[in-house]
Amino acid sequence: MRHWVGICVLILTILSISFVVATNINVLVLSTNVKELAKDYLMYTYYPWDKYFTAMSPEACTSIVWDFRGLDTVFETMVFYLAIIGAIALARGIPLKLPREVKGELGLSLIVKTVTKIVPVLIIAVAGSIALHGHLTPGGGFQGGATAAVAPVLILVVFSQFYLLKRGVNKNSMLLLRSIGLTGIGITAFAAVLIGLATGHYAFVLQNQPKPLAPDVSLPAFVGGQLISGSLWFFNFFEFLAVAAGFTIVFLLITLPEKLVKTEEKEQVEEGEKK
Amino acid sequence: MITLSEYFMTILITCMIVNLGLALYGVFFKPNLIKKIIALTILGDTANTFALIVGYRMWVAGVPSRPPVFTEWRTNNPLLLMIFTKTAVDPLPQALVLTAIVIGLAVTLFLVFLTLQAWKIYKSVDMRDIRRLKG
Repeated sequence: MRHWVGICVLILTILSISFVVATNINVLVLSTNVKELAKDYLMYTYYPWDKYFTAMSPEACTSIVWDFRGLDTVFETMVFYLAIIGAIALARGIPLKLPREVKGELGLSLIVKTVTKIVPVLIIAVAGSIALHGHLTPGGGFQGGATAAVAPVLILVVFSQFYLLKRGVNKNSMLLLRSIGLTGIGITAFAAVLIGLATGHYAFVLQNQPKPLAPDVSLPAFVGGQLISGSLWFFNFFEFLAVAAGFTIVFLLITLPEKLVKTEEKEQVEEGEKK
Repeated sequence: MITLSEYFMTILITCMIVNLGLALYGVFFKPNLIKKIIALTILGDTANTFALIVGYRMWVAGVPSRPPVFTEWRTNNPLLLMIFTKTAVDPLPQALVLTAIVIGLAVTLFLVFLTLQAWKIYKSVDMRDIRRLKG
């Protein structure tokens, strides 16, 4: 009862304060215009008439994230991986492996399991379409990867961790996938430079379309009539792999059965005493 | 005299300021570590919503604002691009929020791991208990 009184007082306070503010001050009204910088971004996100300024991607957010402010996103990826590496380091010494014997049936009921056999496929498909169409529609590597990481969580909860481990989704394979993703991001970032070195022209790191100082080097915007926006498609694809694998590792480690961790710690202590 | 939409907008922004205050209260004064993490995620989401509102654009003459995606790129028509530039919202805050959400999720997972480790060692996630223990 006391909770409800508090919430009602809070809501009434908010409503009255907003009424007073809205009637007296005019500052909270939104502008019908955006900043000049934003107009430039919107104008040059897909502008095939002047190749020196455009990113050749109809999606302004993706062109900002991976072209106009590409270096910034590389550092954001670094922050993301520092957090993931921190989580993995905290769980060091806990090996992810199958138990010697499993008693009884693991996981939830048959109905939930049957539904869960279908749903992760759909989740992965949606995540792939979000990531691979990131340069055409809202979405991109980060969102696609975060969506794809939901599928292993679902399987972890419904089937148990051993179901995933038995099928090869373990820490090492996910670390490999993550490394492939990060290496791919690095190669794509240096692709223009490598092409420039091979052909003897100037080029920039993280370059996509030709620039005034490097007019001869560019990554193709169209491949076989399909718009791939140069480096953006590759960045989205590799970021998708890296984010999905990174989250899967952390989810695998966080759902470790406590009993298993404790027996492992005990065995390690005993082995240490023997030595 | 104010219009209803202005009033609703003011309610939204006031709610978000109150939300910020509640989230900061939760981070500083709640003793439970899990509740601290929940308050931190609320803080992050509120900050992201503020960033989106900064880049938002009011409807001009009843025409809705568009997301910053130029869907008619196949036509190669500069006129449509001009209309798009005049009606789309600011893409920069959205690009910032896009990465902030995923990094926020990673940082939250790291904090959850820290809490899990604290629980394994101290058998408690209450700051008052952990503070009393030494080592």
